[in-house]
Amino acid sequence: MFCVKNARLHPRTIWHFTSYGVLPIRCYRRPGVPPDNTPPWKKIDFNFSKGVQGIKKHFGLLKKEMFERFEGPQGRPMREIMLEQTRVVWEFRNQESLEQWVVSSDEEMGGKSKIYLRLSRNNQTALLYGNMCTEVPKDGETRYSGYCTLRSKQLLGAFNVKTHHDWSNFNTLYLRIRGDGRPWMMNIATETYFQHQKNDMYNYFLYTRGGPYWQDVKIPFSKFFLTSRGRIQDDQHPLWLDKINTLGFTLGDKADGPFHLEIDCIGVCNDRAHTEEFAYEKYKKNP
Amino acid sequence: MNATRFLFHTRSLRLPLLCVAGLRNKSLSSGPIALHRFLSSDHCTRRCLCSKPVFRRDPSQSEESQNKPDKTLISYDNLFERAALDSKNKATFSHVLDVFKNKDIRRRGHVEFIYAALKKMPEFGVEQDLAIYNKLLDVFPKEVFIPRNFIQRMFNHYPRQQECGVQILEQMENYGVLPNVETKVLLIQIFGKKSHPIRKYQRLMYWFPRFKHVNPYPVPRELPQDPVDLARFSLHRIAADLNAKVTVYQMPSSDHNEDGNLVCQPYIVGIQSPDQREVLAKHRPNRPVFVEGPFPLWLKRTCVYYYVLRADPLPPEEKVEEPVDPERNFFYPLELELDYDRDLGDDEDFDVDEVEEGPVYAMCMTDSGDRDTLAKWISGLQETNPILGCTPTVFRLDSGPSEVQSCTVSDHPEIEDVLQGQKMAQ
Repeated sequence: MFCVKNARLHPRTIWHFTSYGVLPIRCYRRPGVPPDNTPPWKKIDFNFSKGVQGIKKHFGLLKKEMFERFEGPQGRPMREIMLEQTRVVWEFRNQESLEQWVVSSDEEMGGKSKIYLRLSRNNQTALLYGNMCTEVPKDGETRYSGYCTLRSKQLLGAFNVKTHHDWSNFNTLYLRIRGDGRPWMMNIATETYFQHQKNDMYNYFLYTRGGPYWQDVKIPFSKFFLTSRGRIQDDQHPLWLDKINTLGFTLGDKADGPFHLEIDCIGVCNDRAHTEEFAYEKYKKNP
Repeated sequence: MNATRFLFHTRSLRLPLLCVAGLRNKSLSSGPIALHRFLSSDHCTRRCLCSKPVFRRDPSQSEESQNKPDKTLISYDNLFERAALDSKNKATFSHVLDVFKNKDIRRRGHVEFIYAALKKMPEFGVEQDLAIYNKLLDVFPKEVFIPRNFIQRMFNHYPRQQECGVQILEQMENYGVLPNVETKVLLIQIFGKKSHPIRKYQRLMYWFPRFKHVNPYPVPRELPQDPVDLARFSLHRIAADLNAKVTVYQMPSSDHNEDGNLVCQPYIVGIQSPDQREVLAKHRPNRPVFVEGPFPLWLKRTCVYYYVLRADPLPPEEKVEEPVDPERNFFYPLELELDYDRDLGDDEDFDVDEVEEGPVYAMCMTDSGDRDTLAKWISGLQETNPILGCTPTVFRLDSGPSEVQSCTVSDHPEIEDVLQGQKMAQ
């Protein structure tokens, strides 16, 4: 948390345009790297053809959003939305499906892990591969290193307004994967109201068996626990599924070496045998 | 007397190093024998004693470099490094802790000592030892850091010491060591009931047991040392079939041949389930089978490699739908020919295209991935699967690890070698 007044005066602060207005957000800055003092207007690309493309794209999206309401919410008939028990959210069948994802690793903070995402050889599944390295960068501040992440992009509507996944009809996350025995972590980031909750995430483990067979994994949403900046929080809260921003995979098992994970599809389903609301105690801990 | 302020080398010198309390000469003479050994290079600490040098000077350096002082902080003689000269194990580590604890009743400089000890723990191989962690916590003086009135309780009382205590617990967390009651008693004695280290302890005790058994594919903490046992464990894990049977085709052995050279025989351990055998029996001998690999499998920090015997998926025109045997299950029908349309609310299937992949017939692990070894595995498989005798076998072996993938043969750049199964049978 930071004081807004001080943050405005601070030169490191960058201005972030959100739907709530202009708010300063202090991002991570690598130790030893000078602060980025370029004024915000220098970062804007005033290219004319790009502007025309943007107008075409956004007005097209606006038109689509206006007309799909006649069909039903999100352009799908109401009957389907009310009755469906399963929904495939992401499937990896072509190159465009990879555009919805972002990979990142500890290279951003000076580490040496590498991660890449591409279609695997039969062009039917996504292959996430790379090399894990837990060598801590020598900047004097970082103590741990070694992670690789795949994260879906934020859904954006017309004029880059944030839109969200609404999974409130479902209670289980479904994944069809094939790994190499390493444990991964699933991260779900939801829309939050306050700025200081922007690092909140709901996590659970994804264990891979390894071997040549595909694995169907079902993770109930009730098992996800709340973390912030990589620390489990004392006050836990069930995951609210109506506004899901991103879903991510994280590897950080401290084992140096190559890794791979193949993802066939990611979906949500309604497991009627699962009735648990939340797997952890919700009373106030540490009074 | 601060003779041993030079004894401890702490790397995190963000704050000025506190004076580590002196080890009196009295205790030196009356101390245990090993203590003399740690302090045997006493003369160098004595030399530093006379003046209070902040910068180290190396006599081997040239004259002009001696004139301008070295910018690094002084490198203190390290108690742990001296102990490490002897041997790096639990006994020496705990002895160092004992030496520090018995040296001074005030335990001055214990925070720096604990940070140095935490850093040295993996080197001595005690990073997963709960007794050592408890002993390390015991270095803190008791009852000094407990807040006594509401003002102390309101503010962060002795923050550096509490931070250090939390750091010990965090290292325990990172290495997966669950604290016990002794840890709790020590923490309460040192920091009081509602301090930050106690909170950390409570968090560990809440979350650790909760996630202890969530892994559906558990790996033991100590993996089997014998490579054959390790291969057996890994193959059972990846086979995903309880009926699968492991066969050891060749035990590891090393022998001297007539020239006197050492000849090592690699181990070959394979696994095949009855279902796989059944599928392989229906394989058409005109289509080749492939030996692919090596593919990595991670068991915590160890990586093992396995090989797969598989075939390409059948082209759609050659697929035959086999009717399900109605006597396979007497309790409920496996097929229902009802002309009902399913409602959307009862549809539990995901609307995705199936990924087309060839069947896997067997898997094996060996420590040398050359073609001869794998050919031995195939010839061993022929005893139970006679169809392999008349099927061409193609070896697609990578030099490095790769993803598990079935793909068309044409765009495969690796070594391809067709061996007629009949030849191998000889």
